[in-house]
Formats: sequence, structure tokens, C-alpha cells
Amino acid sequence: MTRQELDYALARLGLDVPEKERDELVGAAAYIEKMAELVKKPRRIGAEPAHIVEFPEG
Amino acid sequence: MAGEHFTIAQAADLIRTRQLSPVELVKDRLERIEKLDGQLNSFIRVLADEARSAAQTAEFEIAAGGYKGPLHGIPLGLKDIYETKGIPTTGHSKVMQDHVPAADAFTVLKLKEAGAVVMGKLATHEFAFGGPSFDLPWPPARNPWDTTRFTGGSSSGTGAAVPAGLVLGGTGSDTGGSIRGPAAYCGLAGIKPTYGLCSRAGILPLAFSLDHAGPMAWTAEDCAIMLQAMAGHDPNDPASADRPIPDYRAALTGDVRGLRIGLIRHFYTTDNVADDATRDAIDVAAKQFEQMGAFVRQITVSPLAEWAAPGIMIMMSEAYAIHEANLRARFTDFGEAFRDRMALAGLWTAADYVHATRRRREMVDELDRAMAGFDLVMTAAAPSEAPKIDEVPKFAIMERPSLTMPFNVTGTPAMSVCCGFTEAGLPLSFQIVGRRFDDATVLRAADAYERATPWRNRRPAF
Repeated sequence: MTRQELDYALARLGLDVPEKERDELVGAAAYIEKMAELVKKPRRIGAEPAHIVEFPEG
Repeated sequence: MAGEHFTIAQAADLIRTRQLSPVELVKDRLERIEKLDGQLNSFIRVLADEARSAAQTAEFEIAAGGYKGPLHGIPLGLKDIYETKGIPTTGHSKVMQDHVPAADAFTVLKLKEAGAVVMGKLATHEFAFGGPSFDLPWPPARNPWDTTRFTGGSSSGTGAAVPAGLVLGGTGSDTGGSIRGPAAYCGLAGIKPTYGLCSRAGILPLAFSLDHAGPMAWTAEDCAIMLQAMAGHDPNDPASADRPIPDYRAALTGDVRGLRIGLIRHFYTTDNVADDATRDAIDVAAKQFEQMGAFVRQITVSPLAEWAAPGIMIMMSEAYAIHEANLRARFTDFGEAFRDRMALAGLWTAADYVHATRRRREMVDELDRAMAGFDLVMTAAAPSEAPKIDEVPKFAIMERPSLTMPFNVTGTPAMSVCCGFTEAGLPLSFQIVGRRFDDATVLRAADAYERATPWRNRRPAF
């Protein structure tokens, strides 16, 4: 992620992140991307999430 | 008495037989807190008057024949995310420093009903996630074995206060390791129970689908005593399990013959490499279980990062949603560690979160398959001794895959057990994990190990 992309993302999120911390976030963003890739395994279209709503009876 | 160390079980026996006065015990602990907590910062708020009053009430009740059980008159601390009626519950944050709940958390009510004496509100990482932090209204807690070192988090205050004997037990919460981490670094016992066993209602949330409330105390037996009180159905927690609660203390037979333990060694020898002292201590602990009659066999599962990724993503995404409004309105009122981790969390998309939950289901199924033919799984709780408190990277949780997060992902009970000390006198630990709702077997194994080893005889030198 570039600094420009981060700034755009933070602006969309509405987060007023100080300048010094933005530089650190650019470096750490790689972790976010790596984890997102790790969970995107090939899976069948109907593979369910762990969180399925159970509605109360009645 | 003057600062004498007691376990809950020991103090309970003395209180029950009228050899120890709850009033005197609480007085002694308050003096100890006054004398020592300036070095530890384990308490955000000491409730001295309330504690003395509760101790007095306990003493009257016991004298009148109304003994409630092993927590009656026992001084405990509450992590300052457990809401307490009329008493600020701050999450160790400027953002909620004036938050005064109208009611006790469900688990707090249950502990009080059991007769426990609440000594105060204990330090935590900011909202159970941002720490160690030096930019919050209260300083971070420090490790009682070496006050230049990290307690682990987020149940940092509990981790510090129990070994130092300021309280006999305390509450923690565990979303990715926040009971087991401080238990490991501070050398106490801490169990993350099965998801849903203890109510989350009235506990400031970090991540709804990963939060677990649980006890931290000096021994597994003490954890069993506390868990007995804390566990139970709460209709106000939609994830609360509605099932009979077994007698956890009665399950502590000391017998582990025939227990089948799967050792996930690659988690800490390849995936998140532990130091030699940790690895060796766990190997010795595994042999100890074999000598006690358990069967220990190495098993292989997916690499640790595969377990940690969905957990971290779900945890941080849910936390971001919880705090989004305040993050937008007053970002710099949060501490830097918490707010920057939340800023990263905001970068994931909704689809990323759903993929993480789909991966979670796959990991739940994988652990269940891996545990077929085993009663317990064993691995490391931490990769090393406690690091220096000022050397914990801001994004540490993302830099190395978490040894504890897998069992938040799977909702299975998991416990940190002290298994020795480094040459520098810092605690080492292993982690023992059970099947869902078989918290009793986890406690039994931990208790049997503690009885067979000398580690519970050693306390920080205060």
C-alpha cells in the first residue's frame, strides 16, 4: 500500500491519524494484506461462514 | 499474616474453619497493595472502603452459619472492563474514564453472590487490546518478577496482582490470548473457558465472537473454584451456553492416567519459534505428563499463521465496528497503540471479514478432526520469557502468528500453566487445550501437573 492509498483509505474512514503514525501504518499495512490473502482459500461456493444467526424460537 | 501468600483454596479452608478472618485478610491485602502497587501499577482503582465493608459482611455471615463456599470472604480483583455498579469502568481509556455503569456485569454478580470481596479495578490494555501503553490516563501494569518487563496482555493488572499476592484471584478476558498471555509471562494459572461458558454481558467488548471471560489465579484449583462461580447461563448474552455446569473442583482428581494428549510442537518450533528455554521446558512438561501416565503424541495441523489470520481479522474488524464512532470523532483521545491498530483494521473490506469467518469454520473443523482420538492438545502459550515492557512492538500481534489465537478461533477451553523459570527467574509456560465444554479435563490436567512439580512454591520476591 502506498502512502497515497493509505491517506485515501483513512479519509474514507474519517480517521484523523497524525502524520508520524501514518508513516508507520504504511509499513504495517502489509500485514493486513497478507492476512487477507491467507483467508482467501479456494472453496466451494456454498462454504458457510462460522457465524450463522440462530433466531430465537417463536 | 503480614503479606503471607495464600491460594484461594488455602484461604477458603482457613476462613471456613474460622482460623482466618476475612476482615484481617482484606486489611492485610490492602496494606500490601498500598506498599507494593506503586511498583506494579496493577490497580486503576482500589475500592478499600467497599472491600472492608464486604469483608465485614462476609465475616458476619460466616459467623452466623451462612458460609457460601470457597469464595466467601476471598479478596479478588476485576479487570477494568468488567462493569461494576456505581463504580467507574474505564477500559483503561480516556474515552471511557467517566463511564459509571448502572449495573454489575453478570459474572461480577455471580462472584459477589459467592461471597467474594472485590478489592478494586485492575489495569488492562486499552479496551483489552491497546498495550502496553504509556499514553493512557493510568500507567501500564508491570511484571512482578521483574518490573522492567511486560506482564503480557490484555489482562495485565490481574497478571501482576495475583502473583504478587495483592489479590488471591482476578478476572480476565481473552479474545486472542489476553488471559493466557499474562498468565504465561507472570507465572500464574489462567483459563480461557469454552466460548459461551461464562457470560460476556456487562463486560466491555473487544470482539463479540471471540471474547471469553475467565479466571486467573495462582493455581488450577483456584481457577476451578472461580470458574465454578463465574460459569452459567445468562439470557442477556446471546452466546451464553445453557447447559449444566459440572463440579470443576471435584474433577481435580490428580489422575491423568490414560489421558491422550496431542502435542502441537511445530507451532513453537517452526511456525513461531520459541526460545530454547521455552522449548526445553515444554518438552520436559510433556515427559512429566507421560511419567504421570498420560499418552503424549506429536500431531501436525495447519501452520500457526493459518489459525491466527482469521482470528486477528475477525477480532480487529469487530473491535473497529464497536469503536468506530469514537475513532472518527476523537481519534487521538485513544492511546496510540489502540488507535493505530484500529486504523489498520479499517483497511479490511466487508468481504475480507466474511472470508475470515469462512476460514474460521474450516479451522474449527480441522481442530475437531485433529482432536479425534485425543482428550487434550498441548502447545506453547508464549514463545519466550516476558520481554522488556518498552520493547514490545506496536504491531507485535501481527508480526508473529499468535500461539493463543487458534483456540479463540475454535472456542475450545485453553489454559496457560507455569512449567518452570529461566535462569533469570522469569516464568515459562505451556498451554493445554480441551474439547468444547470439557473445561474440567483441562483443569484436571493442569492441576495434576502443578501437584507433581515445584513451580507453585515460588513467588516473586517482594
